[in-house]
Amino acid sequence: MSNKEAVLFTVSWNACIQCGACVAVCPQPPGFTSPFNTIAINEPCDIACMFCETLCPVSAITHTTVAELIV
Amino acid sequence: MANNLATASTFEYDLVVIGAGPAGATTARFAAAHGLSVLLVDKKQELGAPIQCSGAISYNALAHAQVTPNAEFVHEAIYGFTIYNQAGAQTTIDYRQLKPNEYGTGPGANPLGFVVDRRRFDRYLTTQAERAGATIWLKTEALGYQPCPDGSCEVSLQRFNETITVKAKVVAGADGVQSQVGKWAGIKTHIKLSELASCLQLIVDGVQTDGLLEIITGHQWAPGGYAWVFPKGHGYAEIGLGITTTMCTDNAQTYLDRFLKDSFFKERFKNSKILEIQGGGVPLAAPLKTQYAENLVLVGDAARHVNPITGGGLHTALASGKIAGEFIAQLITSGQPATKENLEGYHQNWLAAMGNSMWQLYHTKRQIFEMEDIAERDEALYKTMSNYFSPDSVYKKI
Repeated sequence: MSNKEAVLFTVSWNACIQCGACVAVCPQPPGFTSPFNTIAINEPCDIACMFCETLCPVSAITHTTVAELIV
Repeated sequence: MANNLATASTFEYDLVVIGAGPAGATTARFAAAHGLSVLLVDKKQELGAPIQCSGAISYNALAHAQVTPNAEFVHEAIYGFTIYNQAGAQTTIDYRQLKPNEYGTGPGANPLGFVVDRRRFDRYLTTQAERAGATIWLKTEALGYQPCPDGSCEVSLQRFNETITVKAKVVAGADGVQSQVGKWAGIKTHIKLSELASCLQLIVDGVQTDGLLEIITGHQWAPGGYAWVFPKGHGYAEIGLGITTTMCTDNAQTYLDRFLKDSFFKERFKNSKILEIQGGGVPLAAPLKTQYAENLVLVGDAARHVNPITGGGLHTALASGKIAGEFIAQLITSGQPATKENLEGYHQNWLAAMGNSMWQLYHTKRQIFEMEDIAERDEALYKTMSNYFSPDSVYKKI
């Protein structure tokens, strides 16, 4: 686990081309995925490496920290 | 399809292949052709979609995997390459001129390769697997696997909302670069951000091509990768690029837009009309050091059977699928258990056939992309790509 803050990802379905690159680079255990060939959007990511955001060819992925959501 | 629907919740096969792309379908075809009972599953309802690949494959690669070129999946025949440096200087390697008796449209000559329609190609390969005896289940997601004390394993699947357990001797994970199957078995599949190219391509109308795969190198256009213009048949072309995001400040979409509008091809592209948008992550990485586990092997992109220089993965998927299918069939029909130790033979066969060459390519790629001087790196990539596709290339079969 990283010492970064846990985040919740949002995928812009308008921009996403369902290429799966975000899943490919994700270091999470198996199953951290959505039904649409992306990383999970309904559970927090405690690694928060942001590789998925960086790699996305169309910048469809953004995030909010869990702490921000609680506030 | 109706007669294929499950009516009970437990099934038994020698081999379950997860992922009906080129690697999975080829694994299934060769295993079934050698007498195994094979179940090939894919979570999608339409094979090959969404397209994440340019679709280039050589004639020899098809022949090696016993696939006859067919109008069902061929978009356009290819006869060579043009490699460009950042400024537009070019090296053309046209096999119609270099070896006219072997490559061309005349009697006795063949194309060097093809650009294929991945939707139709994947469907065609899956059809061949089905005709060899494999059972195909679409809309079937693999959820996990568990080795059993009797030497077999159980694979958990979800198909049209029904949870199904399949008993199998071997599972082949062919679920692509996003592979979850490898993770199930604890295989180290994680890929570095610096070794996964972010790729985007457009299918366009209004761009002329001439039977050549055009590759454009240069940090300005595609840092840590290259751009391409491929013929797509019927007057269409593919314009795309792959970048290494750790070497960039913008995303692939921005670089592609810049390539279209600002590169030495801007006049050529000015009347292009975008018809499709496709993308994906392409591993420009080392193959996995371990591609097998208890009752399990990985094939194709899932094992990173991708050429680290070109990013090409179709040839390697077919070749590794053949190796896996034949090896698993030989293992099972000889009555040996599918232990991790026994399945290492698949990995060794793959290394001998192509893996060792892929490792050499990976080291070459690293040498290039670790150069800090951009001009020096650009020159090295241009030269390497130009040499790679030449008739004298030591890597021409990878």
